[in-house]
Amino acid sequence: MRKWFRMTGSQLGLAGVGLGVFLLLLVMVFSATSAEAAPPSQGDQPTDEFCLGCHQQEGMTAEIGGEPISVSIDPQLFEESVHGTEDIACVDCHSNITDFPHPEVTASSPRDFSLELYPTCQQCHLEQYESTLDSVHQDELAAGNINAAVCTDCHNPHTQTRITDNDTGELLPEARVAVPLACAQCHSTIYDTYQTSVHGIALTEGDPNVPTCTDCHGVHDIQSPATNSFRNSIPALCADCHTDEDRMAQYGLHTNVLDTYVADFHGTTVKMFEENFPDQPTNTAVCTDCHGYHDILEVNHPDAGIAFKQNLLVKCQQCHPDATTDTFTDSWLGHYEPSPQVFPLVFFVNLFYTIFIPLVLGGMILFVLTDVYRRFIVRRAPAAPATPAEGETNE
Amino acid sequence: MSDHLTRTYERFPLARRIEHWVMMLSFVTLALTGLPQKFSASAISIAFVGMLGGIETLRIIHHIAAIVMMLGTAWHLLVFGYLAYVRRTRMTMLPTLQDAKDGWRALMHNIGRAESPPQMGRYTFEEKMEYWAFVWGAIIMGITGFMMWNPITTARFLPGEVIPAAKAAHGGEALLAVLAIIVWHMYGVHIKRLNKSMFTGKMTEEEMLHEHPLELADIKAGMAEPVLDPAAVRKRQRIYLPVATVLALFMLLGVYGFVNAETTALTTIERQAPTQVVFVPWTPTPAPTLTPTAEGAVPVPSGPLTWDDTIGPMLQAKCSTCHGATALGGLDLSTYESAMQGGASGPAILPGDSANSLLVTVQQAGDHPGQLTPEELAQVIEWIDAGAPEN
Repeated sequence: MRKWFRMTGSQLGLAGVGLGVFLLLLVMVFSATSAEAAPPSQGDQPTDEFCLGCHQQEGMTAEIGGEPISVSIDPQLFEESVHGTEDIACVDCHSNITDFPHPEVTASSPRDFSLELYPTCQQCHLEQYESTLDSVHQDELAAGNINAAVCTDCHNPHTQTRITDNDTGELLPEARVAVPLACAQCHSTIYDTYQTSVHGIALTEGDPNVPTCTDCHGVHDIQSPATNSFRNSIPALCADCHTDEDRMAQYGLHTNVLDTYVADFHGTTVKMFEENFPDQPTNTAVCTDCHGYHDILEVNHPDAGIAFKQNLLVKCQQCHPDATTDTFTDSWLGHYEPSPQVFPLVFFVNLFYTIFIPLVLGGMILFVLTDVYRRFIVRRAPAAPATPAEGETNE
Repeated sequence: MSDHLTRTYERFPLARRIEHWVMMLSFVTLALTGLPQKFSASAISIAFVGMLGGIETLRIIHHIAAIVMMLGTAWHLLVFGYLAYVRRTRMTMLPTLQDAKDGWRALMHNIGRAESPPQMGRYTFEEKMEYWAFVWGAIIMGITGFMMWNPITTARFLPGEVIPAAKAAHGGEALLAVLAIIVWHMYGVHIKRLNKSMFTGKMTEEEMLHEHPLELADIKAGMAEPVLDPAAVRKRQRIYLPVATVLALFMLLGVYGFVNAETTALTTIERQAPTQVVFVPWTPTPAPTLTPTAEGAVPVPSGPLTWDDTIGPMLQAKCSTCHGATALGGLDLSTYESAMQGGASGPAILPGDSANSLLVTVQQAGDHPGQLTPEELAQVIEWIDAGAPEN
């Protein structure tokens, strides 16, 4: 009898706070015990201390659909997490739990439980939540792939520390370094590759300039990198950092990489293409086709650096399989601006036309102007007795 | 007077006019489809390319126009051979020192330093300049165009650097040609006086008098065309025909080779979409094993069935995390007194009445997060039924 009433009180309490309080009081009366024995609460909600009373035990588990799930919370980690420091209570997210025993879990598996619960995040993080709705992860989820990441897969709500600076809103350095670890949970092989890349190595060493996963792929509205539009946008993406004078100066890298790319065969095509048909496929090389993407190396890397002709030729052959001599690689200016020292032939051809075109055109214009002068100005001038005489002589 | 001034003279036969229009159309097409590639960053270029259906289409049009121009050039060479060898036509297009003098005199006349303009023949110095500029341009554009069209072949014989150099020259020469056409040809043929001879094929005597007085004089003197022996002409025709056929075949073969020498430079192989398996969970977190409390990890205490000897330590070990100091549900099982007091739901232990003791009923229901083993529960029941003694 008592149990029946207690259960009813809990369930109805979810439906309405006022009614809940009322019924809770009723339960107390029926159970005929002292008020101090009631769960310590904030209003009718259990406090974190109350929850942690049980859940701080290490190795505490529960079962959802026959699969074990850890239900232990490290109070220390939670305390230090952004939710802990912002005084977010357990029941703010686990809002259906008001007491023990907990209401029955309807999820069919631990994953199902996460998928049921994660929309709770939008209570506070609406902007980020809505952004994820446009992401490839959400598309996958909608297509039935339950492994696709949701909020809590990247941000463990019980341990996630602050990611952005509270004042500036910028990503904190330690959070940037940690980003690949979040992605690696599902994309471990890509992570392994990235870790060996010039960017990955530097990031691990704490370099604040190099791109972490989210710099190229975006944060919440992560798009599929396999689309045409993503491929077509790659030059602009890389150029974001690689045309930044201050940043590149730290590594002795030139910032003319985009300009020289656009000026060369591939870049001209991609640029024109991207402007008109950003979502159509093109097989013209973009940055990543030669430099790689997750495995980007320094160009003078001793093993596979593409500053070495034989390594570059391999890249050329991806699209130009007939190219078998490494003289072909010199047809690509390698992001150099021609000068008397580097690609002198190109430099002098350009120089020739820079001089020759104005010279020829200047001569022509000069001649035409004198002709205009004689034909249309002198001849029409009233006092010009010499010219009509010319017509007479021809007669 | 007016009668003989309006008499007309043939300047360009129909075939030459068609040749001109074909070359003109291919030139304009090449310029319109080439310059947007040279100035690819300009908004006009981008809009124009978009209008034509994209850079790929633009290049196809550019290449077709180039083929037309190459064929036109081949035709021009054959016609030249015919006129020079069979018809023994005078080489009126060859530049001479007189052209330089004519140019100078025209300039002097324009600025009022010479009484009369130069007297010129079939082709004026302006026309010769344009013609030879076109020849020069066609050679440069043909060679550099070949290099860009066939970079792999080119790199087999020449340093790779000539290919970007060819691109630079192709663009520079194109700009020069287009500007020269706009300034020189437009002014000379369309603006200063609309010269309709490329439309009508004819010029009036007055026009001839002004522009080509020496040719007019030659025509009138019967010296414009060489006197030909019909038999000799037929003989030369018989020789020229097979030679021209062979030449034509070679030139067509040349154009074919130009266009088809290689494929992967222009139509590269399809980019392979990345086929990486993206979902490779990172050493999955080992699934937690269920809390071992239910499996009797703690040995069942033995000894007299009292709180102090067995039941107390057992409940302490199994229940105190929740029902210890934190007293979840008000129930604190850490001391005998607090245990007997019970929790929010009532007394947990009713001495002598295990069947109604909450501690027993909750455990028997089997869904409590912490479960006693059946042996432990049996001990608890026995202890309660024995009156739940403290010691």
